[in-house]
Amino acid sequence: MHKNALAIFGGSIVLILVLVAIFAPYVARSDPTAIDIKDALLGPSPGHILGTDQLGRDIFSRIVYGSRVSLSIGLVAVGLAAVIGVILGSLAGYFGGRTDSIIMRLVDIMLCFPSFFLILAVIAIIGPSIYNIMIIIGLTSWMGMARLSRVEILSLKEREFVLAAKVLGVGHWKIIVRHIIPNGIGPVLVSFVLGVAGAVLVEASLSFLGLGVQPPMPSWGNILMEGKAALGVAWWLILFPGLAILVTVLGFNLLGEGLRDMLNPRLRR
Amino acid sequence: MFIIRKLLPLLAVFFLISFDNIDSLADDQQPCYGDAFVTASIADARTLIPILASDSASGDIVGLVFNGLVKYDRDIELVGDLAESWEILDDGLTIVFHLRKDVSWHDGVPFTAEDVEFTYQKLIDPEVPTPYGGDFKKIELLEVIDDYTVRVRYHEPFAPGLASWGMSIMPKHLLKSADLMTTSFARHPIGTGPYKFKRWHSGEIIELDSNHQYFEHRPWIDRYIYRIIPDQATMFLEVQTEGIDSMGLSPLQYTRQTETKFFRKRFQKFRYPSFGYTYMAYNLLDEKFKDRRVRQAISYAIDKQEIIEGVLLGLGRVCTGPFVPESWAYNEDVRPASYDPEKARRLLRKAGWQDINADGWLEKDGKRFEFTIITNQANDQRRRTGEIIQRRLKEVGIKVNVRILEWAVFLNEFVNKKRFEAIILGWSLSRDPDCFDIWHSSKTKEGEFNFVSYSNPVVDRLLDEGRRTFDRDKRARIYHRIHELLYEDQPYLFLFVPDALPVVNSRFKGIEPAPIGIGYNFIDWWVPKTEQRYTR
Repeated sequence: MHKNALAIFGGSIVLILVLVAIFAPYVARSDPTAIDIKDALLGPSPGHILGTDQLGRDIFSRIVYGSRVSLSIGLVAVGLAAVIGVILGSLAGYFGGRTDSIIMRLVDIMLCFPSFFLILAVIAIIGPSIYNIMIIIGLTSWMGMARLSRVEILSLKEREFVLAAKVLGVGHWKIIVRHIIPNGIGPVLVSFVLGVAGAVLVEASLSFLGLGVQPPMPSWGNILMEGKAALGVAWWLILFPGLAILVTVLGFNLLGEGLRDMLNPRLRR
Repeated sequence: MFIIRKLLPLLAVFFLISFDNIDSLADDQQPCYGDAFVTASIADARTLIPILASDSASGDIVGLVFNGLVKYDRDIELVGDLAESWEILDDGLTIVFHLRKDVSWHDGVPFTAEDVEFTYQKLIDPEVPTPYGGDFKKIELLEVIDDYTVRVRYHEPFAPGLASWGMSIMPKHLLKSADLMTTSFARHPIGTGPYKFKRWHSGEIIELDSNHQYFEHRPWIDRYIYRIIPDQATMFLEVQTEGIDSMGLSPLQYTRQTETKFFRKRFQKFRYPSFGYTYMAYNLLDEKFKDRRVRQAISYAIDKQEIIEGVLLGLGRVCTGPFVPESWAYNEDVRPASYDPEKARRLLRKAGWQDINADGWLEKDGKRFEFTIITNQANDQRRRTGEIIQRRLKEVGIKVNVRILEWAVFLNEFVNKKRFEAIILGWSLSRDPDCFDIWHSSKTKEGEFNFVSYSNPVVDRLLDEGRRTFDRDKRARIYHRIHELLYEDQPYLFLFVPDALPVVNSRFKGIEPAPIGIGYNFIDWWVPKTEQRYTR
């Protein structure tokens, strides 16, 4: 029950975030890119509840619209990673032998690179944009998923129902898609939810370095970056986007861990 | 013995108290040796070979370890440095330098005309990738008359020639058989300057010791310590905790974070115009920007004062052309364009840009007016400038994307190869107004400075003439005309001239702000004995 409560709490955070992102224009009334130099660096006040930045833009609007960037990058990037990871992992686990060796060595090779630096290097070459970031994060974070699904499938493929399907003459693809993946998806789902939290952090880090989402599109990372220079005089520039990142990552982590506990039969009471 | 030991500090305290006033009076008037000056830089130096050093960190160190033949004094006039005097003969075709006879290198070998000749040979050596070669290739012949006299003869009269001899002179006896690209001299330089190189730990610290035999006089401050702190905010914390003695403040730090009692007591802040400007450059090979009316329209659509307020918090001035207001080349009659979005729209309409499909963006021949501004990472000012431009151009129907790139990629892959539509960058200018390299139509090759591909035959001719004219008034008229023409052509959107905002710990005395800034008389700065912090 206790575990479930945390999962529900995490889930509600995620749900609220998704709603905020979808209905951003209704949540935040002012344009997140409207510049008004006269209003620069105002503290939180009724007019701007979370204050304004150096160009007089409303921080609340920027954080609200920033949630779109964070969530879409998180979901799309990890979705891409999940697709690649599950397909390769399933192939490796199901066919074993040489296929397994090749795919798992590829995973090992990919894991050799510290992924953040790999991402930085690739961004430096192809240039930063929201789509590039989604793709690059996706292409550099599927390895965990691949290992997970491989292990899952290694055990599943020895089960009786798979054997039964084989005996009935069902094709490899159909067995994988219809029987194995649906049964082994649990850990992948958990990994997916936890992965979103990771991707949100990577995006924030990239934007913090100025190599993420490009202006004027607000993202939590680039609000933080702008705030860093004004840390001594405008705490609201750091605190609120920082909190947004914290809450989001926390929400996804709680949800992920709650799901893991729920899906794990050994922990189920 | 024990009692005396205990008493001594007490006595000292007593003396300190009783003579404090007299002491400090005397101290305030009498410079004394000692202490260290600790400053910091965002980036590490790259090489300490003067003719190869092109980044500001390398330049800072080279400037203290080496000397040129001439230098600028406090009022931005050329005076002798290693040269005692000079004569300009044959209507400017020839300069004869008379060198100081009392100068020796830090290793004790005397400095002579041979060193000048050697430096010149390296500057024009095609094997040496120096960015400073251009001015020296105008020299027809450099002759060593005797140990202390050098005669330089130019192909044609070359007005920036004298100032170009501010180039640091290198020691022949140490470098004559060395390959400049690989020599260890790059990390252990030996010069003639007021400070001697001591050590350099990459990415961490560069240390210099004062040169007691310096020909002007021994610098009062014994050590110069240059720390590498790659972040402005960290640097500022170091200043506040007195870990470093000096830095250049950001406008926000200057206006909002240093107005405390503590700060005013412990630090002296300065503000003076810097000798450079920030601009947005258009790629003039791009169809959109070929039409001058489009560039003028953009200039009307952007409120430069707003950028100065938003980015510099007011600590800067509007830039109208390729010179800063302090320069004698600056044309006072060129008024900055007023902010007038209506006029911008009219000009764009005349140039054929109209919002045909009513989507808020302008079109011409079925194509939307959209372009990308690129600038470098880790420069808040440029990024914010880009965002303001983006917003204001949106209001007249031009879609702007801003892209931020890592510095080396930005420069090598985009600027030098002309793969851009618009960029935001800054020039820091030499004191001589010659800007041939930036605007002459012959300087458009890859890696050269006219990367916007600007070409105006009249400007070309005037640039040539400016180089050939020695008379200050005549020269000023030529550059005034260049200023006007560039303002009309708008090859750049000239944005602003920021103020330099250095802060120095208040224990340093002898700082005299002047038109050239504060660093020019560094060897005369000193710290009263009682306030010295670094004693070995």
